[in-house]
Amino acid sequence: MDMFKKIVKNFGPEWGAAVMGTAAICITMQLSSEVSRPFSFLLYVGLGFYLLATVMFVTFLIPWTLRFFMYPEEIKKDLHHPIRGNFFPTMPISFILAGTGTNKLGPMLFGPWFAYHLSIVFFFLGAVGIFTFGYLLIRTQFLNKDVRLEHANFSWFIPPVSHLIIPVLGACSMDVYWAETSLAPVLFVISMIALGVGFFNFLFVGAAIWHRYTYQGIPEAKLAPTIMVGIAPTAIIVIFLIKFIQAIEASHGSMFGINFISIFPLIKIIASVLWGYSLWWLMLVVILVTHYITTKAHPFVFGWWAYTFPFEAFTVATGLLAKCVATQFLQGMLITLNIIAVIIWITVVFGTIKWLESGAFLKPQH
Amino acid sequence: MKTRSIIIALAIVLIPFIIGTSLFLLKSSGAIREKANFISDTRKNNKGITYKGIKVDWTFCPDWEYKPLFFPAEEYLVFMFHYRNDNEYNIQVMPSYTFASPHNRRYSANEEISMYIENEVENKFKAEDQTPITFKIPPNVTKHYIVTFEKPHSLDNFYVDVDVFRDVTLRLHYKKEDGEWSNYSNELVGKYKGRG
Repeated sequence: MDMFKKIVKNFGPEWGAAVMGTAAICITMQLSSEVSRPFSFLLYVGLGFYLLATVMFVTFLIPWTLRFFMYPEEIKKDLHHPIRGNFFPTMPISFILAGTGTNKLGPMLFGPWFAYHLSIVFFFLGAVGIFTFGYLLIRTQFLNKDVRLEHANFSWFIPPVSHLIIPVLGACSMDVYWAETSLAPVLFVISMIALGVGFFNFLFVGAAIWHRYTYQGIPEAKLAPTIMVGIAPTAIIVIFLIKFIQAIEASHGSMFGINFISIFPLIKIIASVLWGYSLWWLMLVVILVTHYITTKAHPFVFGWWAYTFPFEAFTVATGLLAKCVATQFLQGMLITLNIIAVIIWITVVFGTIKWLESGAFLKPQH
Repeated sequence: MKTRSIIIALAIVLIPFIIGTSLFLLKSSGAIREKANFISDTRKNNKGITYKGIKVDWTFCPDWEYKPLFFPAEEYLVFMFHYRNDNEYNIQVMPSYTFASPHNRRYSANEEISMYIENEVENKFKAEDQTPITFKIPPNVTKHYIVTFEKPHSLDNFYVDVDVFRDVTLRLHYKKEDGEWSNYSNELVGKYKGRG
């Protein structure tokens, strides 16, 4: 019992990142399975990742939730922490990712009707959590007199990214099942508000972090993985755009007067430009991580999970863009990126077990 | 790392691959039964439609059964459309499909179910499905696209709108006659071009 209490007390807000990093692989696998017949078994591997992510999600959600009631002072401490606090939205993001996985792979387990209804439940729970933590964190950041320039790092992107991920599930849900129901306008409005919040906050927060990196130098080595988070915002917008055009297509070519044929060429251009930015950022990650490895220690910390989800989001963006432009080239890239995503995930899983074995979990660093 | 930790880590990373491979082998072995009883093909009786140099044919199965792992099997309406370009130049198509039946039931194709049954449909219909939203068809080449619709209960007539042309929609009408599905008419319907 004491051990369980210890686990709950130390179960930091960042654990949702492990669910995110596992859940997104089910989508990269599903997209890879569509490339050609020899890869079709990957659909089932994706289902395996979906089931594993679901088990992790349920297992982590219990101590994560209990901590709010059993150790509110720890929660308050984490919320005011300029780095750790930003990881709170990772659990609501997990709701959205669970919903997206359920939308894509759930029909294999439960049939379409149950899967699409379940994913809608995840959508609303995730959206409420993301908006709640979004306001809590921005309030804390604005009113906290202890936040300094050297605290800025790319984990600050997590709240904007969390808002950007809402419209992804919104668009997935509008596609096919909810396309012409009375729920479609609700999903559309919530998704557009979240997109606006995520997009503009990404620009503003990005400027603050850029300022710190330029004038204050790069952060200490344990924050190195957060650089990868920078790849996520534009990659997620690409995912949204392609899913949104599919939702318009599902609404018989026109949704709220937005016409498929007139908007599709524009979406192809914007999505390609945004994907290009994510690709550029990936190269920047390689350059900066190489710098960390060669000049400073880069030991494993739980924060390494930040290497997984953003990279997988870029892989998903590549797979979806391949449905619209440069199909063969991007499909080749998708397979390569998917293999790298799995290698990163395996490395981080082994690192996490080693990190737990070292007892670091019970000695959190604030 | 201790041996116990290595075993735990190995178990976690192998779980998705073991589950995935087992399910794939189970599916490939035919243990999860899928059946399709009736199949019609417009190419056999030359019932396809040609418009602006694009010949559209379709293979139709009204009772394709798909069994989710934890839920009972359900029947789906499965089409495979065949687009042949009879023009002398490449064309780029981005077709979309709508199902409509009485009681104002109107919905789009289910891409997920199409994805799950793709291999079996390709084997049965002997053609390779296109996955992109938009694809190029060179002259004298035929490309194929699988379309799956959820099947409402007690269905006895419906139509499917195929949006592949800019100015008209191809509408395929089906009704049940003596327990068999009949494609009793096909038409090209003018599209509404109003201000959004």
